[in-house]
Formats: sequence, structure tokens, C-alpha cells
Amino acid sequence: MPLNKNRIFDILVYIISFLFFATLILLLSGIFFQTSIHLFMKELKDAGLWNSIFLSFKLSFIVILINLIIGIPIAYVLSFKKSKISFLLDIISALPLTTSPLVIGFAVLITMGSLNPIGKFFIDNGIKFVFTPQGIVLVQLIISFPFFVNIVKTSFDSINRKMLDLSKTLGASSFDVLFKIIIPLSYNGIIAGLAMSWSRSIGEYAATQMISGVIPKITETAPIEVFVKTSYGNYPAAITIAGILMIISLFFLGIFKYFNYKIKTNV
Amino acid sequence: MKLLEIKNINKSFLNKKVLDGINLEIESGEISSIFGYSGEGKSTMLKIICGILKQDRGDVILNAKNINNLESYERRTPLVMDEPLLFPNMNVIENIEFGLKLNLNKRNSINNIGKNKKLFYSPKEIMELLGITGLEKRYPSEISMGQAQRVSLARALIVNPDIILMDEPFSNLDIISKIKVRRLIKDINRELKISILLVTHDIEDVVNLSDKMFILNNGKIQDSGHPKEVLKKPSSIDTAFLLGTENILGGVISGIDPDNNLIKIKVKVRNENTEYIEYNKKADAGVIIEADFQGNFEIGEQVFLAVRPEEIIILREDRQASKPVRENRFSGKIISSIFTSRMMEISIKSEENLELKVLIPFHAYEVMHLFEGKTVNVSLKKSSIHLIKKKKTVKDSISP
Repeated sequence: MPLNKNRIFDILVYIISFLFFATLILLLSGIFFQTSIHLFMKELKDAGLWNSIFLSFKLSFIVILINLIIGIPIAYVLSFKKSKISFLLDIISALPLTTSPLVIGFAVLITMGSLNPIGKFFIDNGIKFVFTPQGIVLVQLIISFPFFVNIVKTSFDSINRKMLDLSKTLGASSFDVLFKIIIPLSYNGIIAGLAMSWSRSIGEYAATQMISGVIPKITETAPIEVFVKTSYGNYPAAITIAGILMIISLFFLGIFKYFNYKIKTNV
Repeated sequence: MKLLEIKNINKSFLNKKVLDGINLEIESGEISSIFGYSGEGKSTMLKIICGILKQDRGDVILNAKNINNLESYERRTPLVMDEPLLFPNMNVIENIEFGLKLNLNKRNSINNIGKNKKLFYSPKEIMELLGITGLEKRYPSEISMGQAQRVSLARALIVNPDIILMDEPFSNLDIISKIKVRRLIKDINRELKISILLVTHDIEDVVNLSDKMFILNNGKIQDSGHPKEVLKKPSSIDTAFLLGTENILGGVISGIDPDNNLIKIKVKVRNENTEYIEYNKKADAGVIIEADFQGNFEIGEQVFLAVRPEEIIILREDRQASKPVRENRFSGKIISSIFTSRMMEISIKSEENLELKVLIPFHAYEVMHLFEGKTVNVSLKKSSIHLIKKKKTVKDSISP
């Protein structure tokens, strides 16, 4: 086969992509080279490890539940109530995407501290955010909800507006339109958004560590546990948790991609 | 009985006035059409009636009740649009029952007593009427455009409205589905006694279906009445142009004789150099055309003459001309003949340089051995000539 320009082009793009994928896979799976199945299984029996993973699951589950409840109305406003300030709303809701998680954690830590009037108000009313699980939920919510809202908004955007107008003339109120048409048509987007925000929340470290105070069994989530174990030099334990976290991400990424493809092919 | 009244509706978008004081009245049980070019605010009008858009000023009155402040879901004025817009997450029967389920609770409160109208038709009855039985379990992506449009119609009918609003419902249909759906709409109107307000830019839809038409132009209702009357006797030159009246000649009244039912018009022939027909006072040359007497004109007044192309007669050489075809006879040459889907469209230029468009059936074209370049005799029946005042403003032309 002659080596024309198009073939050279194909070969180049394939080589570059392959090199990138290979490097990435090696880097990530490299941690498994430093352990053995025996060590891995031994660490799996450690109760502390499961404690932290269970805590991460519990907190991130609460986070996506809250995401679902507040994210759909926010996505609705961003998608259907276009006005002069929607651009501003869009920026504000996407701000956590571009802000460093550490900064977000820091901001929440300061705001919710006892010296701050806002924090003082909450503390006086018996709600403590600093060094507590609810604090972790709060920061993870701030960090993960833009993912959910953006994906759901994209899904809402793809719904035919004329069809919605028409449904109103058939007697559908805004509630009917949301629950009977918009949400059923956005199932894929909502599931993709949940998967994305869940994996974001379960793997979140910087902001979580800021607000958690790293209290064993209470605020020590799995990613924090990885850091703590590493700093003690307990690599086998850190590798085990990191491996589990990686498998979880892979699983949820799979779900996200699957439903995301479905959004595109459905419309 | 008046079903729907539109009073002085105004609507602007970004300082552009789209609707400027629209007044309409729609009788119960009729099919009415709003006709106009694209972008003239026809759809905006419908959206205001069903409550999707709010008017800047004016009132919408349905069944003698002002519905300005009702949300669209409370108005019961279902819309059928140019696309079927079925809900893709529901199958056909779920689509049809959509409105029914929403309206279930309101059933009893709807005051329909004494209207000789069944309360609600079952989805089965409606599907039968529209000929879509058997499609219940199919999804919108699995049925044809024509079927989908009928499902869309069924979805609107199920809420048992007094009026259905239709926005160009045929524009995406092929010719066969179009004829079917048109007939269905007539049936629905007759059998279910549901009034229909149709918006269209296709004059065929208007003539075929409606009992009354409104011409919307420049944000105003320019003309209204029975389609045949409006088509034959447009009240202004704007309307005539809008309706595609092809033979419009400029002239001046030269004689009036009401006793003999006669009015004479001197017609200025088309100048080769000007694109528009314009009466030129200096040029005295012209052709005298006789028409049936029409009131309200004076000698010397400038007028337009409109003749529909299908009313011009090409005389057969082999036959003795009857009385009406001896009126306004011209001899002219066929300068072009175009075969359209149903008729032959012929342009004839008379010896006096008068250009006329004539529509005749294809078989007549063949029987008469017509061809481009042939010289023929044509006749304009006196009764077919409609006079339009030249200086008639849009406002004057709205019939009271």
C-alpha cells in the first residue's frame, strides 16, 4: 500500500493516541505492581479500611440525593427560564468547576468557623459544619453539583420547546410538564449526571480534608485514608484503598459514558 | 353564536409591531382561517389565543368569558402545529390519552350541558374516526408523518375542546396525506361540532376548508369574509396581490350606466418598460373594458380591475360563440404555456399589448390544439370583472 499523506496522518494520530493511553494505564495500574494478591487480600480484612470506604459511600450517597433534589430545579431554571441574568447564574453555578477544591474547602472552613458570623449562626442553632460529616457533605455538594446540573441542563436543552408549549395547551401545568415530559425524557441525562457527581464526590480529597479535620472513623473518608496511610508509610493499605477507589471510578465512568451516549443517540 | 372574540390585540417583539389592533370574531361550529404570508404574525396570533404568549394589549374572549388571565393549561384551546410533536417517551395511545388524564379531574366542572355535545369521546372512538386504530402500541418514531399528524389531532380532540387551533397543519405532509387530513378536519368539524381556527399561507387550505377567512397583512386584518367572495372580489389591491390574483389591470372609469347594468373602464395597457401597472394620465391610449355595474364609483375615478385566470375564456374556433363570451373580446398570441400539476397556465398578449394569464384544464388545451405562438380569441365575461378602488386604505377595507 502506498504511503500517501492520508496514511501518514492516520499513523500519526494512532501513535500519539496509543502512547497517551499506554502511559496513562501504566501510571494508574502501576500501583498494583507494588503489591501482591496476598497483601491485597490481607488489607481487605482491615476494618478501618472498610470504615472509610463505607463512610465515603454514605456521604456521597447523601450528596447525590441532595443534588437530585436541588439540581433539577436549578437545571430547569438555567435551561427554561432564560433571562438577562441566566448568563450570570450559569457562571455562578459552574464556578466550583474552575475553582481549586482546596480553596472551596478553605472558604467553607472559614465561613463555618465559630469566629465568622455565618458560622456562629449555625453553631448557635446546633449545626456544626467544621470537622463533621455534614461539613464534608456540604463541600462535596458544592464541588459535585455543577457536574450534575450541567449534564442535566444539556439534557433539558435538547427537549423540543414547541412540544412543551403544545403540551400546555392540552391542559398540562408546569408540574405536569416537568414530571410527565421533561424528566422522563431526561432519564439518561439525570443518571449520567448522578454517576458523574457521585464519582466526583466519592473521590474528592482536597476540600474534604480541609473541612474534615481527619478524625478517624468519623470524618476519615477513603481518599483521606489513602493520604494518611501513605504518610505513615503503610503502602500496602494505601494501595488497596486506592485500587478500590479506582475500580469504583471506572465503574461509574462506564455508567456515565453509557447513558451519555444514549442521550446523544436518543434525541 | 360567537365562540371566540379577539379584541384589539397588540403585540410587539423588540419594538417591532407584529400585531396591530387585531379584531376577530369566530362563530361556533365554523372553520375559520387566518391567511397571510410567513412572518406576518399568524402564529403569534394563535399563541396569544392559547396563552403561550401574552399580548401587550387587548382581550381574548372565549365563550363570552375573558380568558386573558388564564394560563394556557386552563384555557382548553389545544394547538396542532406543523410538526406532530408527539411525546417521544410515550406510545401512540399514551400520547392520545395525555390530555385526558390531565383533564380527568376537571371533567365534571366543565360546563357543556345543553350544547348538544357529548362530554368526552373515548380514545377508541377518536382513533377510529381518524383511521389510526391499530397503532396504539407503536412509538412516534415508528409511524409515518401523516399518521403522526393524525395522532397529534387525536391528542387535541381528546380534551373535547370548543375550538382547536391549527398552525400550518399540512405544511409538512405529502400531497396524499394532506388531502386525507384535510378531509378529516372537515369531518371532525361536522361530526364532533368542534370549531377550528386554522392558520395557513396556502390559499388552497383556506378555500378547501374554511367557512370564513381573515387576511392578515402588516399586522392588521386586511380583509375578511367567505373565502370564495374574498377571492373573487378582493376589497383592496393589497388583498388581490396577496391572494395571487394574477390579472390586475389599472384603468379609469369612462362610463357608468346602472340601468343597463354596465360600467366601462378604459384600461391602460402594460408598458414594456415599467414593471408595475400604473395608470398614466398623459397616455390617453387604452382599451375599453365593460363590466357589470358595481356601485360607488364615479366617472374619471382611477380603479384596478381584477380577473381570476380561470374565468377568462379562450374561444373555440369551431363553435359559434354564445352571448357571454362575446363580451370584451380580444385577439392575442400565446406567449407561454406552463404545465402545472393540474392546469395549463397560459400567458396571452393581446394586440393592444394587454397581458393576461389564463388557466385551463389540460384536456381543453389539447382539444383546442393550443401551442405557444398561436393566435387565439379570448373573452372576459362582464360578470367576472371585479373593480377595486385605487385609493383604498387598509383601514377602510375591513368589512364591518
